[in-house]
Amino acid sequence: MNSKTDRADVLIIGAGASGGVAAKHLAVAGFSVVILEQGSWVATSDLPTNKAEFELLGSGRWNWNPNVRGLDEDYPVNTEESVAIPGMYNAVGGSMILYASCWCRSKPSDFRVRTLDGVADDWPISYEDLSPYYAAVEREFGVAGKAGNPAYPPDHQPPLPAHPITNAGRMMAQGMDKLGWHWWPGYNSIPSQKTDHLEQCKRLGVCMYGCPEGAKATTDLTHFPDAMKHGAKVITRARVARITTDDAGLATGAVYLQGGVEHFQAADVVIVAANGVGTPRLLLMSASNQFPDGLANSSGLVGKRYMTHPFGTSVGIYEDPVEDWTGPAGEVIESMEFYETDESRGFVRGSKWHIIPSSVAPTRMIDRWTKGEGTADESFWGTDFTARMKDMVGHMIEWMTMPDDLPEETNYIALDHDQTDSDGLPAAKVRYVTGENTKRIVDWNLERSLEAHEAAGATKAWVTGRNNPSMHNLGTARMGDDPSDSVVDKWGRSHDIPNLYVIDGSVFVTATGVNPTATISAIAKRTATYLVENARKQKVAS
Amino acid sequence: MNIQIKGKDKGFDFSDADRDRLAGFVDALIAGGAGFPSASEADVHTVWIDRALGARPDLFPFVRQVLDTPGEPQDVLDRLRSEEESVFDELGFIVAGAYLINPKIRKGFGYPGITPEKNPAFPDEAEAYLADGILDRVIERGPIYRPTPDFEAS
Repeated sequence: MNSKTDRADVLIIGAGASGGVAAKHLAVAGFSVVILEQGSWVATSDLPTNKAEFELLGSGRWNWNPNVRGLDEDYPVNTEESVAIPGMYNAVGGSMILYASCWCRSKPSDFRVRTLDGVADDWPISYEDLSPYYAAVEREFGVAGKAGNPAYPPDHQPPLPAHPITNAGRMMAQGMDKLGWHWWPGYNSIPSQKTDHLEQCKRLGVCMYGCPEGAKATTDLTHFPDAMKHGAKVITRARVARITTDDAGLATGAVYLQGGVEHFQAADVVIVAANGVGTPRLLLMSASNQFPDGLANSSGLVGKRYMTHPFGTSVGIYEDPVEDWTGPAGEVIESMEFYETDESRGFVRGSKWHIIPSSVAPTRMIDRWTKGEGTADESFWGTDFTARMKDMVGHMIEWMTMPDDLPEETNYIALDHDQTDSDGLPAAKVRYVTGENTKRIVDWNLERSLEAHEAAGATKAWVTGRNNPSMHNLGTARMGDDPSDSVVDKWGRSHDIPNLYVIDGSVFVTATGVNPTATISAIAKRTATYLVENARKQKVAS
Repeated sequence: MNIQIKGKDKGFDFSDADRDRLAGFVDALIAGGAGFPSASEADVHTVWIDRALGARPDLFPFVRQVLDTPGEPQDVLDRLRSEEESVFDELGFIVAGAYLINPKIRKGFGYPGITPEKNPAFPDEAEAYLADGILDRVIERGPIYRPTPDFEAS
């Protein structure tokens, strides 16, 4: 095994959203930081979005599903026992490369679901604890949005002005206005004005296939260049096989594979930032005689409580031109009308809704019609294809309804020793069954979304999906105060191994009903700040 | 601009007979109408299928399977739809994808360019959409979030 002689102050495993935020913060503070990333850098020129066939490339090489991509840097995910298919992207920038850039703070009630709604668990931190870190990362990511939203505490003031709501948002806003329902211009980690690291959005609308203009916040653009200027070292194509520990049970570094050769990187502190699937996979792969059930797993909860957002979608066709290919493709508008619990609806918790441009990718119209509820039995191909497409393209609005998802220990990430990645390491296996409460949230909100389409003037509206896959992998190393029922504490520090931290979506206690990148990033910033402020007290291996 | 990609360089190829037979399939899927040409009139079976499969060469076996299935195209497609839906879906996707990247077709559907076009916002555009006060009514209805019940910074 080759050994890197330099012992880093901090080793970060995973160069996505949380890894980038932490790497920059720690490097700027003077720490020596090494980042191990199994993927590589993505050049803007490599993205599919400068090409006419971007949609086709996006369904293959650039697919959100690692099992479809099947690249060397991906690892297989066994989904045979899961109704959810986890999405992710392995590269510097992580899944941000393909995310929609919806930038949604969680809400105060998200952190107190046991107290307020009698379900799941309260988080060990509050909205107020995270708020300054939300604000900090919103500046770093160039978040655009409008202040004053009555769905949030008044401290939510994005640093850049909101994007125009476009014709699609305006038409739907008029419908929501008729109903007296909440709506608000969308929040996006896509700058409406040029920033130090990002261009102004050109509204191509192709954000989910990678922005060719450098106008979408991804940590390969917004964080790692600054981290590297301050000495951070990013090692790509470096797949971590296991985190190592000493006899005292402290983390000492990690063994990784690069080009089939084993290397060792020593570090005082190890931070895992490999997403809600990759993080438990690595902790479980790091089992040893000392920790036979995997690292940080005295609670038995590593990998357990996997949550995602099996969101619903509905579409409406509108006679007037919507021109719904105008970006950005994060949120055009959002609604929090049905976010908070109203038990008369037959469930607790709720759903954020948002609109994204629906005609950017025209082949998506095929499934919307041929798999849609009420349209699947109507003809589409042959003599109807062009007429159907003409009715839909440029004349459609799509609602996405994002349900809160509550944890269940029967939903989990485990190792699959029957399949391996390109380095021979075990694949991940996911088991996920949508909970009854989550199903009810989706179904009820989709019904309301059809009412919204009608109020906005749709000539036809229907449900296109009740269990859409997301890249939101959450809850598999939850935070908590009690070591017997949580993996990490409120700072992301392992209860078992005091110099091992987790900072990605794994630490979520509940899923919240919003896209998670804002909260993941704020948590990473908070943990990195804690590490800087408590460096002298940090226990490390001798 | 030369937009043709040689299929055999990408690991797939069609003979002239293949392309003639493919024309029947693509037209059975996209017959045209509503001001649009059929798929073969839009050169799907000659030009654009190669471009589409260049992006998704993994879908070539589905096209090959369909071409090699005896029978009239419509009959073959009807049987696939009822008995092998995944094959039908993959064929439909790649044929529609090929049709929809033809610039003339894309223009016909109203897209502003052959690829997504830059359209940066005007400085006051965001406020213009809200100028009639439509958002004021949302604000006037007041807060709709539940505050932290036990707020005490930890």
